[in-house]
Amino acid sequence: MDTEIIKLNKIAKIYDENTHVLENLDLVIRLGEWTSVMGPSGSGKTTLLNIIGCLDSTTKGSVIINGKEITTLNQVQLTRFRRENIGLIFQQYHLIPYLTALENVLLAQYYHGSVDEIKAKNVLNRVGMGHRLDHIPAHLSGGEQQRVCIARALINDPKILLADEPTGNLDQKNGDLVLTLIKELHQEGHTIIVITHNPEIAKLGQRIITLIDGKICADSSCMEN
Amino acid sequence: MFFRILWKSFLKRKSRIAIAVISVIIGAAIATALLTVSLDVNEKVSYEFRKYGANLLVVPYSDTIEVGFPGVEFGTVTEQRYINESDIWKIKTIFWRNNVLGFAPFLYQVITAHSEQAEQRIVLAGTYFNKTIQILSPYAPQDSQTFTTGVQAINPWWHIKGEWISDQNDTSSCMIGANVAEILNLSVGDTFSISYIDQYNSTDNGTMYNLTVVGIIMTEGYEDSQIFVNLQVAQQITGRFGKLHTIQVSALCNACPVETFAMEIEELIPYVEGRSVKQLVHAEMDILGKIEDMMFLITIVALIASALGVMTTMITSVIERQKEIGLMKSVGAENKKIVALFFSEATIIGVIGGILGYLVGLVLSQFIGLSVFSLSINPRIEILPIILGISIGVALLASIIPVRRAINVEPAIVLRGE
Repeated sequence: MDTEIIKLNKIAKIYDENTHVLENLDLVIRLGEWTSVMGPSGSGKTTLLNIIGCLDSTTKGSVIINGKEITTLNQVQLTRFRRENIGLIFQQYHLIPYLTALENVLLAQYYHGSVDEIKAKNVLNRVGMGHRLDHIPAHLSGGEQQRVCIARALINDPKILLADEPTGNLDQKNGDLVLTLIKELHQEGHTIIVITHNPEIAKLGQRIITLIDGKICADSSCMEN
Repeated sequence: MFFRILWKSFLKRKSRIAIAVISVIIGAAIATALLTVSLDVNEKVSYEFRKYGANLLVVPYSDTIEVGFPGVEFGTVTEQRYINESDIWKIKTIFWRNNVLGFAPFLYQVITAHSEQAEQRIVLAGTYFNKTIQILSPYAPQDSQTFTTGVQAINPWWHIKGEWISDQNDTSSCMIGANVAEILNLSVGDTFSISYIDQYNSTDNGTMYNLTVVGIIMTEGYEDSQIFVNLQVAQQITGRFGKLHTIQVSALCNACPVETFAMEIEELIPYVEGRSVKQLVHAEMDILGKIEDMMFLITIVALIASALGVMTTMITSVIERQKEIGLMKSVGAENKKIVALFFSEATIIGVIGGILGYLVGLVLSQFIGLSVFSLSINPRIEILPIILGISIGVALLASIIPVRRAINVEPAIVLRGE
């Protein structure tokens, strides 16, 4: 039987009485599953990803990740939980501009605990950035920056990788490189959630969820069942 | 890794850091300058005050006896007492001995002065002019064994026509006040005679002593009406060998009240009492106090301005670095790490600003000293730690609001890619 790694139970995110970003959303994601999340702008995709990534809180409902109810955790506990369980891949990479590729990866390690430069170099080698360790983001292409971002997400061996439009700012060639990397990570057993507007990318996942107005209006796994 | 982040963050934002450092430099420089000037000017003004004479008068205790019959009071009589000249050196052995700038003993007697033109009863004052005395051990073995003191040391401001009596064993020279010179029609180089008759113990029947005027004193005070001779001359004439009426002490009382000197002298020479010349002391302390208050206020204003400068720069920095802070939080940085990063930056800004501000302040203090007080100011390395502490404190205080802003950054909002 597949293990549930993420379980959302009737979660809602309401900013004020008239802004319901997510409404009574139920979602179960299994260990090692690649889930693609689609939907128009403002449908609640990023909010959903932020809640799963412990960057945002719910207004109501329960969120269980890796067996832990996270809605009861305080800010410090959420931060610890995030750095131990979740890797984040951003559309805009969000690398620290004055740190080198290696240092950007070491940063995540530093906040997690001890710094292991050899491991960081190995991870950067793994994403094809071994030759650009000492370059600052301004001297890297978009694709290279995204690969550094992926290396940073991987450095603490998280079970879950969350990617928000990971190829949104990349050309076809670099986009393919990044998607190949994500495929490899999925094959290695990582649970992956990718937000995308691109149906071709969404199809790479085992499951496609479509959000509209904060509700899941389509779930490919349900259709299969 | 922390220091790598800190160092690179500094290098990346050189101009912002420079503005914050300059803000601290301004505050630290003003604090350094005013503190240095305040300390130095206080000391120098005190010295200046001391030039205007003694601020402590040591006199023997005197017993007062009421005279009369029951119901009929005739008044009081006071027994004449003296200070032993052999005890005078003890003044230089008190705890605050290094603050005793000088002292001069006095033995007074009204004598009759005779010149070719006039005869007049005048106060004769026997004293030290510039005498080297022995400071005996074991009271102060660590001190110099000799100390040169006298009226010349405690009254350097006296206007003298002619010269001071330089030989402490000179028994034929005198200095006379300007009024005496006028009454007796005497000039420098003239010789006149004095006589003294002890009405109670007729030890001397009016022997004439010849004195040569070597200097005329112009103070516009009571000294103008006196004749000054070496102490031993007055003791010889009056037969009061080894005796003194008073000792005038010039004490530098910048850090301690002059009453402290008095108490210590009274402990060492139990039969005397010290009386501070309160008017002078209070005027001095009043002026010094006002200078200190003014400098303190200016320093506070400068430090507030400095803190505002740092705070503005740090807030701007936090706003500019919101994504960076959000990213750090998203990859696992707890608030304490963010706080540590910003407070470390503030500390470094404080240290750099403090050291540079101290150096600038020393130059500024010279400028203030010369232009306002006409005094050269001595640099004081001992205030560097104080200035560093103030600078770091100001930078840290100024960072509290920016740091609060930094820890309130929500990564979900600042990292939104849409």
